[in-house]
Amino acid sequence: MNDSMSIPHLIMSASTVVQLVMLILVIGSILSWVVIFQRTFVMRRARRSHQMFEERFWSGVDLNELYRETPSEQETQGAEQVFRAGFREFNRLMPKTKSPDAILDGVQRSMRVAWSREEERLTLHLVFLATVASASPYIGLFGTVWGIMGSFQALSMAQQATLSTVAPWIAEALIATAMGLFAAIPAVIFYNRLSSESGRLLGKYEDFAEEFHSILHRNLQGRSEAGTA
Amino acid sequence: MARHDQRAPTQPDRPVGYGLPTVLAVGLHVLVVVLSVVTLPQRQPEDPQTSSIVQATLVSTETTTDQAQRAEEARARAAARQAEEEAQQAEAEALERAAEEQAAEEAARQAEQEAAEREAAREAEARQREEARETAEAEAQRRAEEAERQAQLREEQEAQRQRQQEEAAEAQRQAEEEARRQEAEAQRRAEEEARQQQEAEEQRRREEEEARRQQETEEQRRREEEEARRQQEAEEQRRREEEEARRQQEAEEQRRREEEEARRQREAEEQRRREEEARRQQEAEEQRRREEEARRAAEQASQGLDRAIEGESESVANARQAQEAANSFINLVRRAVEQAWVIPPGATGNLEAIVQVQLGPSGELFGATIIQSSGDSSFDRSTIQAVEAAAPFSELRQLPAMAQRDFRQFNLRFRPGDVR
Repeated sequence: MNDSMSIPHLIMSASTVVQLVMLILVIGSILSWVVIFQRTFVMRRARRSHQMFEERFWSGVDLNELYRETPSEQETQGAEQVFRAGFREFNRLMPKTKSPDAILDGVQRSMRVAWSREEERLTLHLVFLATVASASPYIGLFGTVWGIMGSFQALSMAQQATLSTVAPWIAEALIATAMGLFAAIPAVIFYNRLSSESGRLLGKYEDFAEEFHSILHRNLQGRSEAGTA
Repeated sequence: MARHDQRAPTQPDRPVGYGLPTVLAVGLHVLVVVLSVVTLPQRQPEDPQTSSIVQATLVSTETTTDQAQRAEEARARAAARQAEEEAQQAEAEALERAAEEQAAEEAARQAEQEAAEREAAREAEARQREEARETAEAEAQRRAEEAERQAQLREEQEAQRQRQQEEAAEAQRQAEEEARRQEAEAQRRAEEEARQQQEAEEQRRREEEEARRQQETEEQRRREEEEARRQQEAEEQRRREEEEARRQQEAEEQRRREEEEARRQREAEEQRRREEEARRQQEAEEQRRREEEARRAAEQASQGLDRAIEGESESVANARQAQEAANSFINLVRRAVEQAWVIPPGATGNLEAIVQVQLGPSGELFGATIIQSSGDSSFDRSTIQAVEAAAPFSELRQLPAMAQRDFRQFNLRFRPGDVR
């Protein structure tokens, strides 16, 4: 009984469909965990780099100097990326037009693009996590229903329907549901956690973009006044 | 990695790869699988505790009619009978033991007797041997005496011969004197006579010598014959002694064989006696049992009379059959309830609950109520559930009608057995 009712033995003796369902669930679970770990690292690094950039930005350093210090565009991320996009657009538009509104519009547009890229970068693969979280219980349930169907089909051929003849079938069928839940529960928890974290970070970027925009607006206000004066 | 980046902010931030997360995710799943495999054998030993078969014992058969009392009386009587039988058995055993002791004593006595007989035989042999020796000695003495006698005879014969010789010498001398006297008268005649006499004497002497020689040869012959006789006698004696010894040996063997046969016969007789005793005891027991049965039948008959007076008519045989069937029914119910009983995991061996079971006429369950709670509500529930699960006791219909009424209501005592 100990051998026949152990979980590996039950998995090995299950029907093909149930085994397939189990395989899908195992793969989904592994991939969701890969996403969870990867996103957790990405979020942690984005939070840290954002914190460092904000400290530097508000330390009273010259914006040109800050722009020169920041590395090239491909390797920046988060608020730094937004700052770079906005400042580069600002520098490009400054010689071409005198209108501060046009400059501010261009800067805002480029910063929104950068923010949108950051959003895409942060929420990458979180949809997969959501899919696993919502679908794997159903997949597991399908495996269970299929296994119990098979057990009842086998039961109809048996002479005596005792608990010991039904128990292994139901146990191996229920393993599919257990695996579906095993994949879904961490996916749900970490999807919520990671999406809220990314939303918070994106909000911070938006705040930074607005603040940078206001700084540029202030500068342009002074320059236009000086230009007119 | 992130901390490293924090310390060196000037270095470019590389995007987070998928290698480490993959390794971590696979490692996590392997850990979960290993834990599920490893922890299961620790959990499994707890399972048999819940599924251990437990003894449920039927305590009593409660009934409202007086038949229950009768049944109880019958049971008490049966117990008394059993006790009596046991006592009888004990007596029989004691008797058997006594018989065995007696047999052992007899065997010891037999052994003693045999030893005595063997000693007697040995003594007899010794006596016989002594007698033979004595007879031989006597014969030797006799022979010696005979030899002495023969020697005396021979001496006497020799003395006679000497006397004859002396007489012959005297007669010669007389004849010589006469001859000398007659010489004067007739010397010639005398000389002739002397010559004749001499011739006669010579003749005589020759004859005498011949006679002597004959005697000597006769004596020799006699002696030889005697010796031959003696030798023959000795040989015969020896042969007789050997034959006697042989006969004695044969007799001893015969005796031994007879003793063995006697022993075997005695053992067989003892066996037979023991068997007969056992048979007699069995017969006596059967007799007693029959008498008791008769007595019981008489008692029950008297009760039946009472009952008949009271308007109830049940036969004695029916009552006995009903009791037997009821015992089997109780066993069936107990086994069915035991099989259906799922003991709650927390139940310890100290718990005990008594459930009153009420059955319908065809064995269906009318009600199962706890009349003595164990204090553990889940345990009580499990007992009720066990009775309900085992419920249709259709064997009740196979009981006689009288017993059916007895077993419509009975008590079951639940007690978790040894937790294996």
